[in-house]
Amino acid sequence: MSIPTELINRYPWLPSLKKHYFEMASRSPSIFISEVFSKDFGSDLKERLLDLFEAAFDNLEEISDYKSDKLNVYVYLLLNIFLYALDNQLITNRLANLYSKITYNELTKENNDANLYNICQDLGLKIRYYEPPINYGVNIVKDHHQKLETNFTIHFIDYLRLASNLRDEYRKLVHNSLLEGYVFIQNKRLIRLIQEYVRNRLLIKETEDKASLKAFLSDVSEIKDFKEIIDKILNAWTERKEEFEYTFKIDFESKEELLTLYPPCVKEILKKTQEGQNLIHNERLFIVWFLLALEYPVEKVVDLFSTMPDFDREKTTYQVNFAKKKKYIPYKCLTLKSLNLCFAANYKDKLCLEGYGSVEPSERKKLAHPLSYTRIKQYRASKEEYYKNKEVDEVNE
Amino acid sequence: MSDISYLKRLFRTYYKEKRSEIPTVSSFGHREFGYIPWDKKIIMKRHMSFKSQDSITKHLGNEGPRHVYSSGALYTQPEIPDMDGKGYQGCDFIVDIDVDHFYTPCKEDHDFWYCKECGKSGLGMVHKCPKCGKSKIKTSAWICEKCLDTAKREIIKLIYDFLVPDFGISISQMRIAFSGHRGYHLKIENDQIRNLPSNERREIADYISGENISLEILGLQEKSGTIYSFSGDTYGWAKKIIRKTYEILKKPNSEIQELLSEKEKFNFNKNYIKSFLNSKQDFIDKIDNNKYFILPSIEGFGMTNWRKFFTGIVHEVGVEIDTPVTIDIHRLIRYPGSLHGKTGFKVQEIFPDELDDFNPLDEVNEKLDPIVFESKVQTTQKLEVLDAQVPATKIKGKTYGPYTKGEIIEVPHHIAIFLLCKEVVKTI
Repeated sequence: MSIPTELINRYPWLPSLKKHYFEMASRSPSIFISEVFSKDFGSDLKERLLDLFEAAFDNLEEISDYKSDKLNVYVYLLLNIFLYALDNQLITNRLANLYSKITYNELTKENNDANLYNICQDLGLKIRYYEPPINYGVNIVKDHHQKLETNFTIHFIDYLRLASNLRDEYRKLVHNSLLEGYVFIQNKRLIRLIQEYVRNRLLIKETEDKASLKAFLSDVSEIKDFKEIIDKILNAWTERKEEFEYTFKIDFESKEELLTLYPPCVKEILKKTQEGQNLIHNERLFIVWFLLALEYPVEKVVDLFSTMPDFDREKTTYQVNFAKKKKYIPYKCLTLKSLNLCFAANYKDKLCLEGYGSVEPSERKKLAHPLSYTRIKQYRASKEEYYKNKEVDEVNE
Repeated sequence: MSDISYLKRLFRTYYKEKRSEIPTVSSFGHREFGYIPWDKKIIMKRHMSFKSQDSITKHLGNEGPRHVYSSGALYTQPEIPDMDGKGYQGCDFIVDIDVDHFYTPCKEDHDFWYCKECGKSGLGMVHKCPKCGKSKIKTSAWICEKCLDTAKREIIKLIYDFLVPDFGISISQMRIAFSGHRGYHLKIENDQIRNLPSNERREIADYISGENISLEILGLQEKSGTIYSFSGDTYGWAKKIIRKTYEILKKPNSEIQELLSEKEKFNFNKNYIKSFLNSKQDFIDKIDNNKYFILPSIEGFGMTNWRKFFTGIVHEVGVEIDTPVTIDIHRLIRYPGSLHGKTGFKVQEIFPDELDDFNPLDEVNEKLDPIVFESKVQTTQKLEVLDAQVPATKIKGKTYGPYTKGEIIEVPHHIAIFLLCKEVVKTI
């Protein structure tokens, strides 16, 4: 199936981009950059690109004069090149969040089922379209019944692939209507899944191959326009950098040993915040309750969220204070598992996986709460410290 | 000859004689194999690979291991001991249904427990000692037709209530096996499902078992004193809950009473059951007339009791699966055609349409019979009972036991092997 070029222009993250713009995609980045900026739309392109970065640094969720014309393809390709060149996870996350939200808004505004179907097809999603919409149940809204209808169903494997990282309770498969392998999905929720796809597509990790990056940078920095844009981005970033990195300098870099006391579920969230990744609602609640339970000062807990794309210090302070007043208890291990927030296996954490209390595996108790993890680790650390001191004393004697 | 050596020799003979009958697994060369020998200390030898079915059966014939396993996962180099170095390529979707993990009423007759902390013991299934509250419980699990039948019903429910209608999985992609002890395994061999990571497998496990379900998200809610229920027209769990509720309501009062008082599921007291039964017809009428949205007003039934009632229904609908097995992508499962070292029974593969008639303890179809040591000539063996209490077991239509410590018994060969594998007797 061939997807219209017009749709690629509007949504350049589609896999068919390569087919439609084969010549452009096969050119080397430095030639591509030189060429596009030398065209008559070069300055427009620069402006659009810088607007995107500015908006991302300003925590905006959309761009007022966003245009989805042919230039959009150039913007998207350049965005990928610049993110690679900048090699900064915080910036990448900001841009990925913003760009994916713009996509969500565009798709919602457009409200075109045929395009949505074509997009899903191009993404390789197994999707079914129904016209007229298919009825799959009834919902109660304020005392009256509302028919549940949709034009789309999506195969459960594709659904899981796109939805499992979102981790909202209502998105869990068990809370959705499933028939013959397909999940009934409302257009808005399908668009939200596509938004997640776009976000993940832009989320390139910081490169490990620093030599290639260096070679690339020396190659492209000869290009005047590239240098001008990257300098502008870096200047804007330097002005805001402290705002984003503030937390970790004060809190975690100086107390690095504290990290060893945290269970993998907490480490994973801290890693995400460090990278400026967005946290879902349950992750935010959990980390706040966990740190407050360890008697972390409110302002330091608030600082943790300063890298979030939607950070608002005033609101966050109010919410953290409220949580402190209510003395909420952080989620237990079982709940974390059900919310897909348990990372024991990913981190291969012995205490989580094997339990504690005995050398004999069959006698060990299973860890039931992340706070117990920290307490056990603290106890073990203090015991080690005691024996170390004892040894020193004995040597001194 | 010690009993262990005797069993090892028997197992070796089985593997040698039945070499050609032992089924294979798909993608054989990409599977990791493991086994547990007859040593006193139970240590699994894993990270093995075999080039052909012939080489594994030959190996089994030489070793005669107590338990044999192969991986659900496929690897490029299954023999590498480091899991990260194996070259993981995906894993079959595995469901384990084992009566060890859920309550069956017959456990009150044949499962013993002993508290290592305070010494209290009893029959049934406990997670914590009822006397001291500690969870250092040692259990001695037995088998009977009733619990194996419960396990079978669960696997049938899994296939025909979930995998086929909801997930659209074709029967031809499923491989089912009686585990040789207290349950069944089901493996789905499908390339797309093989690529699912652990957290996405948990989503499917939750859907099948009803674990981590939120009744509120499905529609149970209280608004201005009225309690609203689920839509019986909405595909998925809402429909399943209403359908099961209706099915239960249509049962005779005595059965409903028994069900609602079941401790492990509903645990309602007599008064609540009485008021529930008084409103039974009202509830049936509401469902018949599609007016189930507003729950009937039953004396004593507020949100708490309705939540308790529907949680019980979720237990009834969901399949009792061992979730950690399903989400573990590196788990080894019993090899088809191998012997279970705790019973001496064969891990028997079964087609879904054979499940209804399948009776592992008294199977009439010889090809499906997991009891492989039944000799055609009636030979018996003399044994001395070692355990304080050995529950009665009905195998091949005859009941053996109960026995008590010190008793000298004479039983047919296959029963002797079963009791020896269970380590409750010794040969004399």
